[in-house]
Amino acid sequence: MSAVAPRERRILWVIAIPMALLALSAVYPVFFALNAALKSRKEFVLNRFGLASSPTFDNFVQAWTRSRLSDYFVNSVTVTVGAVLLLIIVASLAGYALAVLRFRGSKLVFTIILVSLMIPVQVVLVPFYRTMIALDLVNSRIGLILAYTAFFLPFSVYLMTAFYARLPRELYEAAQIDGASLLQVWWHIMLPMGKPALITLGILNTLYCWNDVLISLLVLQDNRTLMVGIAALRGEYTTNVPLLAAGIVLAAAPIVIIYVVFQRQIVSGIAVGAVKG
Amino acid sequence: MTATPTSKDASDARSGQRKRRVGANPERLALFFVLPALALVTIFRIVPLIWGLGYSFTDYNGIAEPNFIGLANYAELARDPAFLDSLVNMLILIATLPIWIALPLVLAILIHQGVPGGKLFRAVYFFPAVLSSVIVGAIFNVLLRYDGSFNAMLKALGFSAVDWLGNSSTALFSLIAVQLWATFGMSLLIFLAGLSTVPSDMLEAAKLDGAKLLQTWWYIVIPSLKPIIEFAAVVTTIGMLTSMFGLIYVLTAGGPGTSTTLPEFLIWLEQGKMNRPGYASAISMVLFLMMAGLAAIQIRIMSKNANLS
Repeated sequence: MSAVAPRERRILWVIAIPMALLALSAVYPVFFALNAALKSRKEFVLNRFGLASSPTFDNFVQAWTRSRLSDYFVNSVTVTVGAVLLLIIVASLAGYALAVLRFRGSKLVFTIILVSLMIPVQVVLVPFYRTMIALDLVNSRIGLILAYTAFFLPFSVYLMTAFYARLPRELYEAAQIDGASLLQVWWHIMLPMGKPALITLGILNTLYCWNDVLISLLVLQDNRTLMVGIAALRGEYTTNVPLLAAGIVLAAAPIVIIYVVFQRQIVSGIAVGAVKG
Repeated sequence: MTATPTSKDASDARSGQRKRRVGANPERLALFFVLPALALVTIFRIVPLIWGLGYSFTDYNGIAEPNFIGLANYAELARDPAFLDSLVNMLILIATLPIWIALPLVLAILIHQGVPGGKLFRAVYFFPAVLSSVIVGAIFNVLLRYDGSFNAMLKALGFSAVDWLGNSSTALFSLIAVQLWATFGMSLLIFLAGLSTVPSDMLEAAKLDGAKLLQTWWYIVIPSLKPIIEFAAVVTTIGMLTSMFGLIYVLTAGGPGTSTTLPEFLIWLEQGKMNRPGYASAISMVLFLMMAGLAAIQIRIMSKNANLS
């Protein structure tokens, strides 16, 4: 829709004003949290909305040390990195098998993996928790990594299968004729070739794992992830808003940075899911 | 997860390929490659689904051995005020679906039409969607509670304060508004992706015929987006059923009373606080039936669209 009449152009300028206000509302709450985190408790009570007059990092220090957010942060980083790596490996292997190698029943396997999308964790909450107990995976970070991989896998397998199916066969056929083993073909060819899709998966799954609360609430009970820690902080410090705000900022910062850096991949990844890749 | 892909793409893309024999026993090796994915999904989702169905017919309390009680849990659901309240809350939430579609749709069309600053708007509108519901819930809890910042602002402007989260007549709408605020950017991206496939010559032709801006929207743009709108409606509804837990947990904890309890949150309460995992499993099965119904609708929409193209 390129050629817009001058009158319509003027209308669009007018419409941009409420749209800009909406955009402000989309970033304001995070700005509010950042601003509150920089205030002392007293200043926040006296002046909620104004800019922090003498910014202090005390709240961050206190949240990081006394409220154990540093431990939770390490937990979240560990399980997120572990789950994202495992998701990439498992999805890439499965995509290679389903799209390129194919075998009797590969269509059935693909369908089973996709149908599991209908089974979110709430639907299996009780038996899932029992399974974790039976496998001795409660309070285990490896348990949480496996659970994240199981629950975020279907979209990843779908994307890798579709991506590998579109690669020109010449890329890997030559290697297979040369007698390279399939595992070598996967490692030396499919994994590097899949990079664009794997990067998208890596970023989206980082968001899902980092942001999750329900699965980690069930699996890590003594040893919290950051989001569960923030939820608890919210309950404990109802009156100390600046401390809570500092925790919120620390927990959101990695995601905000990832969004600013990888905005293009995130946006196109969402679009791929919506309108087939 | 927002996107629910079909098997169509993969099978389409694969149809051009012949099966090949490589190596000594490629079929067995291929199965070996797909095994980790299949095992994880089976162990943590499919087997638990069947196991959970079994639990739903028992009086399991998490400690003693479960006893078979037939359909007693389901019969109790039909007269449990907490469950019925959660269904009503869910229906109220679903009734707001037109707003969840219309708001991002109008914004997407405006951005596509070339509103000044459109690219920036797209990036900023999507920003809340990447934040955890815990982050969103914690910030809005500070803003919306009775002694919170939003009321402080209202009072400064001369209005009276409202207990947005503590009053059962406003809490659900506060929850819905916050979730809408946090996620409308997702549908916006879906609509923008759809708009990029609308043929521009159709629009040019309409313009030559003297069609006004709003007319081209109504008669050309929106009808050609129909499959995408249907898709977004289903995905949004699935989100309403299964991705509200984090926000409820932090913003309102389901209260006051049951006024912001949705079925997915009730499952959590019954299995944990109430120590009734058998009963919670029955609610899970009801939720699963709703998910299966939505998936059936989605598959129908997608196969219909596949026939069109």
